[in-house]
Amino acid sequence: MINTLALNVKTATVSTYQILKSSKLTWIGTLIFVIVTLMAVFAPYLTPYDPISQDPLAVLQEPSALHWMGTDSYGRDVWTRMLYGARISLFISVVAVVAAMIIGGALGIVAGYYGGRVDMMIMRVMDIMLSFPTLIMGLIVVAMLGASMTNLVIAIALTVIPKFARVARAPTLSVKKREYIEACYALGYSDIRIMVFHILPNVFGEVLVIGSLWIATAIRIEASLSFIGLGIKPPTPTWGGIIREGFNNFLDAPWIATYAGLAVLVVVFSLNLIGDGVRDAVDPKLRGE
Amino acid sequence: MKKFVTKTVSSLAVLAAMTAAQVEAKEVKTINMAYGSANAGSLDPHFSTKSQDKNIFGMMFNGLVRFKPGDTNPANIEADLAESWTSSPDGLVWTFKLRKGVQFHAGFGEMTAEDVVYSLNRAKDPKTSAVASDYKSFKDVKALDPYTVEITLNNPVPSLLGLVANYHGGNVVSKKADMEGDFKTHPVGTGPFAFVEFKSKQYVKLAAHKEYFRGAPQVDEIVYSYVPVNTSRELAFKKGTLDAFSGTREERWVNRMSRNKNINIAVFAPGELRTLHLNTKSGPLADVRVRRAIAHAIDRKAITQIIGNSVTRPNTSVIPVGYLGHTQEVPQYEHDLDKAKALLSEAGYGDGVTLEIIITKNEALLKPMQIVQAQLAKANINLVMNVVEHPAFHAQIRKDLSPMVLYGAARFPVADTYLTQFYESKSTVGTPTGVTNFSHCDVADDEIQKARVETDQQKQLDYWKTAQIKISENVCSVPLFEQMQVWGISKDIDFGYEFNGSVSLGPMFNEQTTKK
Repeated sequence: MINTLALNVKTATVSTYQILKSSKLTWIGTLIFVIVTLMAVFAPYLTPYDPISQDPLAVLQEPSALHWMGTDSYGRDVWTRMLYGARISLFISVVAVVAAMIIGGALGIVAGYYGGRVDMMIMRVMDIMLSFPTLIMGLIVVAMLGASMTNLVIAIALTVIPKFARVARAPTLSVKKREYIEACYALGYSDIRIMVFHILPNVFGEVLVIGSLWIATAIRIEASLSFIGLGIKPPTPTWGGIIREGFNNFLDAPWIATYAGLAVLVVVFSLNLIGDGVRDAVDPKLRGE
Repeated sequence: MKKFVTKTVSSLAVLAAMTAAQVEAKEVKTINMAYGSANAGSLDPHFSTKSQDKNIFGMMFNGLVRFKPGDTNPANIEADLAESWTSSPDGLVWTFKLRKGVQFHAGFGEMTAEDVVYSLNRAKDPKTSAVASDYKSFKDVKALDPYTVEITLNNPVPSLLGLVANYHGGNVVSKKADMEGDFKTHPVGTGPFAFVEFKSKQYVKLAAHKEYFRGAPQVDEIVYSYVPVNTSRELAFKKGTLDAFSGTREERWVNRMSRNKNINIAVFAPGELRTLHLNTKSGPLADVRVRRAIAHAIDRKAITQIIGNSVTRPNTSVIPVGYLGHTQEVPQYEHDLDKAKALLSEAGYGDGVTLEIIITKNEALLKPMQIVQAQLAKANINLVMNVVEHPAFHAQIRKDLSPMVLYGAARFPVADTYLTQFYESKSTVGTPTGVTNFSHCDVADDEIQKARVETDQQKQLDYWKTAQIKISENVCSVPLFEQMQVWGISKDIDFGYEFNGSVSLGPMFNEQTTKK
């Protein structure tokens, strides 16, 4: 028991340095992700074109000096759409995961802290949600609410909330039995104060680790939903949407879907490298403790 | 030893029988075709006017008369279930003499005047027909004897033969089959191919109607699959699983596919007029200045440039080119962004207009819609597009849920059908008599109705012309271009006739068609 408690505290205090130190691959992953993020942020400076303006005279052109990744069937520059698409895809994924982290984390802490019926109710609902495969869950939500950016965020968040709830609940169960929490009770602190100021800091690290892993999944879900036509409304570019449009013209212009697919692959891969590194950094066995 | 010989002989016999059976099985000639929609609309020929269904109806049903195979010109209409016909001098009474011995599919017996009367009345009834408005002028249909049908009209009809041809309400159904069973799931006609089964979102299977009155078809089966993704159909053809498929209706696709040795690319009539219907009764579009701004903001030339000139045809009238009554002498709205913006400001929308619209996932409409979206955006008219499945699109636009509807249609080539279904106020969507008047247009009711009963052809043409001018002036809709039909068909298939067009919008295989 003492060991577990010690670990939890350590987990919470894992420094960025420790994580990055753990392996070169993590460095590479971080570097790729940072570069992609910067490209998304500075998109307007990296291309002379507008992502939605059509050019009837330049339809489905092959990659060239003018259009690095060619043009799509509306004559729009694919490189530009990829850059602006990255903004949307990354934004949706990060916002969804952060929202899920906050809601799922809170639910987990509440379930673990109160125990009993509250725990039962929350965790059974989470179990039900977990029983749906992530993509199916996303599909159901978007099909019900309609396709829009907010609904996509909600759909993706809903698929990952239960995972955060589980991750937050486990350490809460052990932390709440520690003496200082009992001391809080004795001082007459409110439940909310105890949960926010005394339990949350001990749970935060682990939730954050899981978060970095789930952004990759969120990107994949967003791309998949857009691909099957449940994504953001046209003409807004997203990576999944670009793959979908490229797929329709795959035999004429294979580069469109290929480039967009590669982009998803590279970013998901980089996030997985980061996630692996973070996990290794916080795993005491691998650190030789 | 004897036992061994007996066993060997008997097993050889079994083997030979099996081989013979296999050889026989291999000889089943199936034409596998695929259309680019996710599912069928309806299997009832009077109930569906949707592109994905017409092709099947064309192979399953006959009318009293028919469009000559491979031809869409109403002037060439020829006898079908009727052998001959006459009309009274005033054009109000039409008598059709039926062929004898025409058999319905699935043992539903001989087709007689009773079935024809039943079918035409069924097509006239809004409860059982989506084209009831076309038959408003039918006063009475009766059987004079088992092989004679008499149609009495309230007023002369622009082209009566079109209404009794193998198209929409003219398709003759089996009365017995409709009374006894569920016609929507088991349609019964007299055509060269009979319905076998329907698997939702997968296929409709048809089998040769051996007793077809023009002779048994030479192809045994037709499997009509629903494959919405263009690339999938093309790959399936390349793999050899398809013999015919609806192609991507774009020039570059036609050019690329034409290089393939095993395929004939058929680009054929009729052109479906892609029209942007604008709800003239609610929201910002109720102001004619906003509608005119839209007309000026659209650049038709750019649209056809993206889609390709060889598969499109320009048109600025609300009636498709080649229809009796069509005229291009209508107000023209040239592409002019400044004018569009000025009109918007004048209407009090200087800051722009945002409209939430519904559009199908079907590329043939989604693509022009996205091009229009980009063009309108330049004039500060922003479209928020809800992209839905094709059947949902058809359902929702008929419930009057989209202020702007991009629709493509080919109808019987007489101005009256188009004007009645799309621009007469009775046909307004969301009403009990609704058909496809998405714009709530009511400015030309008078002309449409007068033209319908006018016996003097010149006067009739004048009414239709005025109707087109009024509709254009009021911008009930903006005609964009005409989209020709494009199919890829294996060179192994021989139609048996010259194929230049099909009112059923797809290749009509019949008793003359063969497959290598």
